[in-house]
Amino acid sequence: MHELGIAGEILSVILTEAARHEAKKVTEVTVRVGVLRGIVTENLRFLFGNLAGDTIASGAPLVVEEEPVVIECGKCGESETAAMAWECPSCKCPDIAVRGGDSLSIVSVELDV
Amino acid sequence: MISCAEMKVPLDRSIQQSAEDTARAIRGLLAARKILSINLISSPGSGKTTLVEKMIESFGETGRIAVVEGDIETDIDAQRIRKHGVQVCQINTRSSCHIQPAQLVRALEGMDLDAVDVLIVENVGNLVCPAEVPLGEDVRVVLLSVTEGDEKPLKYPLVFKTSDILIITKTDLLPYVAFDTEAVRRAARTVNPGIEIFEVSATRGDGLEPLLSKIEALRAEKARGKGRA
Ligand SMILES: Nc1nc2c(ncn2[C@@H]2O[C@H](COP(=O)(O)OP(=O)(O)OP(=O)(O)O)[C@@H](O)[C@H]2O)c(=O)[nH]1
Ligand SMILES: [Mg+2]
Ligand SMILES: [Zn+2]
Repeated sequence: MHELGIAGEILSVILTEAARHEAKKVTEVTVRVGVLRGIVTENLRFLFGNLAGDTIASGAPLVVEEEPVVIECGKCGESETAAMAWECPSCKCPDIAVRGGDSLSIVSVELDV
Repeated sequence: MISCAEMKVPLDRSIQQSAEDTARAIRGLLAARKILSINLISSPGSGKTTLVEKMIESFGETGRIAVVEGDIETDIDAQRIRKHGVQVCQINTRSSCHIQPAQLVRALEGMDLDAVDVLIVENVGNLVCPAEVPLGEDVRVVLLSVTEGDEKPLKYPLVFKTSDILIITKTDLLPYVAFDTEAVRRAARTVNPGIEIFEVSATRGDGLEPLLSKIEALRAEKARGKGRA
């Protein structure tokens, strides 16, 4: 359940930001999560919604942008994005390098001020 | 007058900013004393404590090793380490499935760091969350025992991506299990081309030599110029 700690951290950051702008309400939060992070988006949204309950972020939708990995093939030279792969999606060889996919960041927050 | 307006604030901030800040502070604290710090991560029971015991035995008094043990409950691992006569601190993480940087700070506060060259942090047995959390370490080591199955890098890619060293442990058991060492090496290198891979049996001693030499080299590199009384 590492989504719980992550949901708590998101809430704490955006409430601090909201207070800094003297916002009345948080209306939307956007985060970016790499596919390698193993985060279940549904759990994250549920837990965030729960924690936000009595705060000014109550009801604010959590938009989760998924960051794919980039698969670079050492044989055919193709480079594609994917959820994850252990062989080249084009030539099927295992001679690939996987880059990215490990983001875990808050992109933006929308406020009513 | 409209007193209400919508504004979109771009943040582009890591979700783990506070943990990362604390980890940076730990790194600074240890770097100032030229202490090599190692974060050991694996599933429960892959052989972390056994390997740490072997390292302590091998380096002896001159190794100046200190150990921080992370477990949800009990100080069983710390007791095992204490028998070897080195500084050890047990962290009980309770509800947390990994050591948090702030917990490590508190553990370090109780240690005599001037008597330490190598700090080994044994994380809570878990392949998921410890991979997410930086502890200011110089070297992150993931252990995978041969009885766990050779598909683990496919299921838990992040820990293999973020580790500097992979140790395949319990190789004495290879005759009894279907474990494709080459497949593990290939998968680990797919997500992390630079990862260094060792194969050891801590109980039988196989393969320990190259691993211990590697740790010794890292320690020497870190300690370069360190004043000794
Ligand atoms: N056959 C064999 N058994 C080993 C080896 N290394 C450790 N073990 C056994 O594996 C079990 C678990 O070892 P530990 O060192 O306690 O594992 P750990 O990773 O520290 O476990 P946790 O801290 O609970 O996550 C013990 O029964 C060890 O004796 C090895 O190289 N070969
Ligand atoms: Mg242990
Ligand atoms: Zn290809």
